[in-house]
Amino acid sequence: MSASAILELRDVGKVFGDTVALEPTSLAIDEGSFVAIVGPSGCGKSTMFNIIAGLLAPDGGEVRLHDQPVTGATGHVGYMLQKDLLVPWRTVEDNITMAKRLTGRVNAADRSEARRVARQYGLGEFLRHYPSALSGGMRQRVAFMRTLVTHQPLLLLDEPFGALDAQTRLEMQQWLLQVWKDTERTVLFITHDVDESIFLSDRVLVMSPRPGRVVADITNPLARPRTVDTLVDPQFVTIKGQIMHLLHGGTP
Amino acid sequence: MSTRETTTPRRAGRAGTDSVARKLARNVGVPVLSIVLLFALWQGIVVYFHVAPYIAPRPRQAVLAVTQNWSTLWPLVLGTIRETVYGFIVGAALGIGLGVIMAKVPFLQRLVYPVLVLSQAVPIIALAAPLVLILGFSVTPKVVIVAWIVFFPVTVNVLDGLSHVDQDLMNLARVYGAPRWRTFFQIEIPATATPLFSGLKIGATYAVTGAIIGELAASDGSSLALYQEHANTNLNTAAVYGTTMLMTVIGISWFLLVVGAEVFATPWQRRTVARRRWRRADRSDEEPAR
Ligand SMILES: Nc1ncnc2c1ncn2[C@@H]1O[C@H](COP(=O)(O)OP(=O)(O)OP(=O)(O)O)[C@@H](O)[C@H]1O
Ligand SMILES: [Mg+2]
Repeated sequence: MSASAILELRDVGKVFGDTVALEPTSLAIDEGSFVAIVGPSGCGKSTMFNIIAGLLAPDGGEVRLHDQPVTGATGHVGYMLQKDLLVPWRTVEDNITMAKRLTGRVNAADRSEARRVARQYGLGEFLRHYPSALSGGMRQRVAFMRTLVTHQPLLLLDEPFGALDAQTRLEMQQWLLQVWKDTERTVLFITHDVDESIFLSDRVLVMSPRPGRVVADITNPLARPRTVDTLVDPQFVTIKGQIMHLLHGGTP
Repeated sequence: MSTRETTTPRRAGRAGTDSVARKLARNVGVPVLSIVLLFALWQGIVVYFHVAPYIAPRPRQAVLAVTQNWSTLWPLVLGTIRETVYGFIVGAALGIGLGVIMAKVPFLQRLVYPVLVLSQAVPIIALAAPLVLILGFSVTPKVVIVAWIVFFPVTVNVLDGLSHVDQDLMNLARVYGAPRWRTFFQIEIPATATPLFSGLKIGATYAVTGAIIGELAASDGSSLALYQEHANTNLNTAAVYGTTMLMTVIGISWFLLVVGAEVFATPWQRRTVARRRWRRADRSDEEPAR
């Protein structure tokens, strides 16, 4: 593996009954990179995340984090879904510190950090609100902050903006890039939205279903910072064509 | 779980927008008005149809039958309250315990559930005689009957609540590396609060009925139920109505107490912003109040 890889999959695969959810897959993710994964529904994207997070044991192969085997173990990644999974009985602040509460005691430093992060990223006014008072975009931001304060260097985001409207989604994408730049994490980001995958990432993994596998590994040359102009950059359009072709029946 | 996946606004901001007077008028004034109207209707019917006092008394007579015999009635009322409260606590604890165990051990759920349903199919009144044989005329058989009635809705609701906790949320807790007991107390228990209180409220409504049935079937002399039966034999209809009113008041009070406990325990159901808490020491970096 390359020296700077934070995550490595070695022949990791999963079969459910007759369904090959994920063919034995090998890949390495560079530390600090932003990798997007696109693919049609049912191609094994979430299965791959569940294996990396330790929720699901692979049929074979190995998951390595920082060159240590972590196959089947939990507690070593940040994880976020399309559903925000905020608990309605906790305030925004207490939702942000939830991981700590689930693994030990929440101390003053944790609460102080939660408040600092919330203020920094535009939710300072809502610290004592219950989630029911927030909009969908705000809830996703809280869910992301909750993931962030776990201090896990690797974040798995499974269609985090999938339920948001186009306008809010674009705002959230820019917001996420800002946070990513500030906090220097490694992000694996699943999406159905090809534009989103290109706009955010350094690298796009394209998957295909039955059997679920990675069919292309595309390096994204677009310069950062990304702005709305990125969306009409000729290079953007070229990569988009390439991915669309892969997703809709073409050969690489 | 009970996470409300609502996109439509809840009638939020009640606390903020309404004045205290308005809230009081709506939450206390309207129920009081409905009770006053009920009494007015009662009075109206008795007067209009010239109902004889031994068939149905006027409200005033029923109330007087209570107040004038208060020194006799008070210990009996206390007795009924004691049976209700003890029975409710035993039933609620049993109900929660059974619900949790059944949710955690599927085998026990299959084993015990039919027995629980069976227990509720037994007519309570038929249960009383053997209970007296076993436990005598003490407070215990009444407590058992109340608990018998109360535990069932609690168990069913707790079991249901625990079985419907969002699996993705449970998985998220696993990803964090949370031990199961912490997940239980931090996620599963609060997620079950709403169904738990539904069960407790149903239980609270029936608790007094259970106590009265117990008193009827298993009393050796002094109890509210027997007092009423005695009044009935003597054609003292005012006392019969008066005692019924007392029983109802005990039942409603207990129900309201449980509702109060729910309001206290689940602030997120009604509020959009949490109350400021005692945890102040570490809030030094808070923005100044505006
Ligand atoms: N627990 C399971 N039991 C049986 N089959 C499963 C299970 N989980 C996933 N699958 C199957 O494995 C395949 C891959 O599922 P997965 O959830 O990984 O897809 P996905 O790429 O995340 O899809 P989507 O984009 O719709 O979220 C699907 O065919 C799915 O039906
Ligand atoms: Mg998925």
